[in-house]
Amino acid sequence: MEKGTAAIPRPKRWDIPFSQEREGDRLVTDDDVNRLLGISPFCDLDIAGFKRSLPLRGILKNDTRFLDCETGDIIVREGDWGNSAFFILSGSVRVELVSSGSSLSPSILGRGESRKKSFFEVLSQLWSNHKEPEFRSTTTRSSSKTLSRGAGENTRIYLEDVSAVLSEIQTATIDAGQWFGEIAALGRSPRVATVFTDSPSEILEIRWQGLRDIMRNDRDGSLKNYIEEVFRSRALASFLRNLPIFRHVSEEDMSELVARAEFESFGNYDSAKPFSGSNKKDSRDLVELEPIVAREGDHNDSVILVRSGLARIARRHYNGHRTLSYLMPGRAFGVPEALQSWETKSSVPLSSSLSAIGYLNVVKIPVTLIERFVFQQRPTKKLLSSEADEDFKKFTPKEIDGDLMDFLVDRRFVQGTATMIIDMDRCTRCDDCVRACATAHDNNPRFIRQGPTHSHFMIATSCMHCIDPVCMIECPTGAIHRNLEHGEVEINDPTCIGCMRCANNCPYNAISMAEIRDANGNFYVDEQSRPLMKATKCDLCLEQWGGPACQRACPHDALTRVDMRDMIGLGEVLNR
Amino acid sequence: MKTRWRRRIRNSTLFLAIVVLVVSLFTAMQTALWNTTVYSGWFLAGLVVLLASYNLYKKVPFLPLGSSSTWMQIHIYAGFLTAIVFPLHSGFRVPNGFFELVLAMFFLLVFTSGVVGLFLTRTLPPRLATRSEEAIYEKIPGLIHRLKTEVEEIVFGCISETETAAVPEFYMRRLKPFFEQPRYFWSHLFHSERAFKTLLTDIGEQNRFLNETEQEAMKNISQRVAVKNDLDYQYALQSTLKYWLFLHVPFTYGLSILIVFHVLLVYAFSGVAS
Repeated sequence: MEKGTAAIPRPKRWDIPFSQEREGDRLVTDDDVNRLLGISPFCDLDIAGFKRSLPLRGILKNDTRFLDCETGDIIVREGDWGNSAFFILSGSVRVELVSSGSSLSPSILGRGESRKKSFFEVLSQLWSNHKEPEFRSTTTRSSSKTLSRGAGENTRIYLEDVSAVLSEIQTATIDAGQWFGEIAALGRSPRVATVFTDSPSEILEIRWQGLRDIMRNDRDGSLKNYIEEVFRSRALASFLRNLPIFRHVSEEDMSELVARAEFESFGNYDSAKPFSGSNKKDSRDLVELEPIVAREGDHNDSVILVRSGLARIARRHYNGHRTLSYLMPGRAFGVPEALQSWETKSSVPLSSSLSAIGYLNVVKIPVTLIERFVFQQRPTKKLLSSEADEDFKKFTPKEIDGDLMDFLVDRRFVQGTATMIIDMDRCTRCDDCVRACATAHDNNPRFIRQGPTHSHFMIATSCMHCIDPVCMIECPTGAIHRNLEHGEVEINDPTCIGCMRCANNCPYNAISMAEIRDANGNFYVDEQSRPLMKATKCDLCLEQWGGPACQRACPHDALTRVDMRDMIGLGEVLNR
Repeated sequence: MKTRWRRRIRNSTLFLAIVVLVVSLFTAMQTALWNTTVYSGWFLAGLVVLLASYNLYKKVPFLPLGSSSTWMQIHIYAGFLTAIVFPLHSGFRVPNGFFELVLAMFFLLVFTSGVVGLFLTRTLPPRLATRSEEAIYEKIPGLIHRLKTEVEEIVFGCISETETAAVPEFYMRRLKPFFEQPRYFWSHLFHSERAFKTLLTDIGEQNRFLNETEQEAMKNISQRVAVKNDLDYQYALQSTLKYWLFLHVPFTYGLSILIVFHVLLVYAFSGVAS
């Protein structure tokens, strides 16, 4: 029998407007768009500058939605990941001013109180673990201090007594006509502060893509300049200070570096979703498909610093590319070549290429500035040379087999801060790791001892606690969040509404949806008799003593949780 | 030097030092005319308790009692130490009483099963890693069943398309038993491919009796035969890795009970207490 075809309309970008993504949101109408075009900054934009296929009206209609907030509604929370920015149309919001860690209680913010179990609680797991899988008590479910409005994906958590909160914490006011959340959205970095409304407010939420396109097509560049200046003035200096090569730069020189730095983005912001399909392509294809940030053999005119995202360092190998290493946020590219050029007074081309894996946000510092403020200021050339060399060697580990490096980078396992690597040459398949995990989680294992394998290394299906946790992006209640103390990605069970956004967003299938039960094994169901679900995943045994039970339970040292940012540690694990 | 070799050298050195210390102490005590049997007996009993406690440790993985791999290293070297202390305790002779003989037999069984287990856990995992895709042990019967269903669909397809019985007859005679359950356990365990190669030869020889459609069907079946054989390989090796403990652990329980009786008998009848 011949296979037929079925004609369907080709999917388009605005098939589902932002305002229709969640049930219950107010649809953005033409009248709303007219109203927006009458207020600054939108009225200042030159409509003629926008492409016919991507008009400003279309962006405003399809990439925005209105948030009608009541007093105390929490718009963003410190540590959350988000892919949208906010513009206040009316009312005002408060941004919490703290140097690190919100003063608001985690339970108020919809996060669980993270604490270690007492010795007795740990011991009592021997007899108190439930026989039924995925047991949840009704008291646990109702004991959360988190207050929420709305339902389903439209759920929003709020502060009950705003005036009391304002008397306890330091805040700054952001009034109507101002933006917030744009740096985190564009830079794909966590929100740096908690923002909540202090009066009934109307807020325009705009998708990252919409904001990007407005910035691209805005001939005047005012919005782009505004956003870049915000980052430049608030965060760039401290970002540069964290890099070893800028540690010795004086305040005055740093100001010039900050003033002359350039920003650039590469790749697809939403790349996490389709990349699992690209895993099947061979590594040569992948490198060639990736947006090139700097090409091997080109003249090195600027040192590239990764602000967010992930980059691959590759070198041409016959007709393909061999991955040498990868760069994480806060790492630099092009320093050894710049140093060599300065030392030899000749142009030294780049010895490898840098490409964006998924989405990449970089800061470029002209080499002339690096020579002036870094190389010339150091005590000896030799010291500087050895530092740069050491830095390069540290992040270009020779002891990791090239194919294995390709495998880890192509499949983006290098995102993990606790990637579960199992050496299958040592693993006796005893499942002590799975049993230990289950014992530590009320008899529910939180990972699957199966996954992609290269050579004799398996990357098991377990939460890797990613550097860029895309699972957190669309959580409506913020139940999935990063532990601000240790950085692990955890789920606060009482505030999880079972919407599956995190599970669908996780490219590694590391989050499972579990149908929850009572002590007798009966499933909890809602009014329509649909089973209630909770997102479940590895929490790195945060409540237990002594770290992840899986790793401690492995008798043959086959299972290791590896922070992929530590390449020396990774090399040791792979070469034991 | 690789971490595992560093650890192996460190632990072996420590082990040898302990052996030298134990033997020297034993010799010194004998020279001083001490009753070395009592001391070596208690030392041996202590070692057995330490070895058996590893199983208890596994029941409480959430307690901060160190990593399982550290316990495993202690378990291995303490196990080897018992092989030194046991002959010292028994005076390098075969026990003559029935009870002592049974006790010695149990000790030998526990020790030998431990050494065999150590050998298996060091040699089988690399073999598993080099052969086909990893399958979770509990899922293997389900995967085999799925393969069998697929093959039967191909066979039934042949009946309806060709109206001859060559493929179904061969399936019933040769392939059905193969797909019913995991096969060739011992061949896989001892790395012999003879049984599987014979089956492949039989499949190949069928081709001259088949028309084009049937040959295509047989080709599809052959692919599944290869997958099934890999699953059998996984099953054989993973079963061995799992079930050797079903000898080692019960023998340990038996040994522990016999040791308790041994101590009671010694203190009741040999006059050691006095």
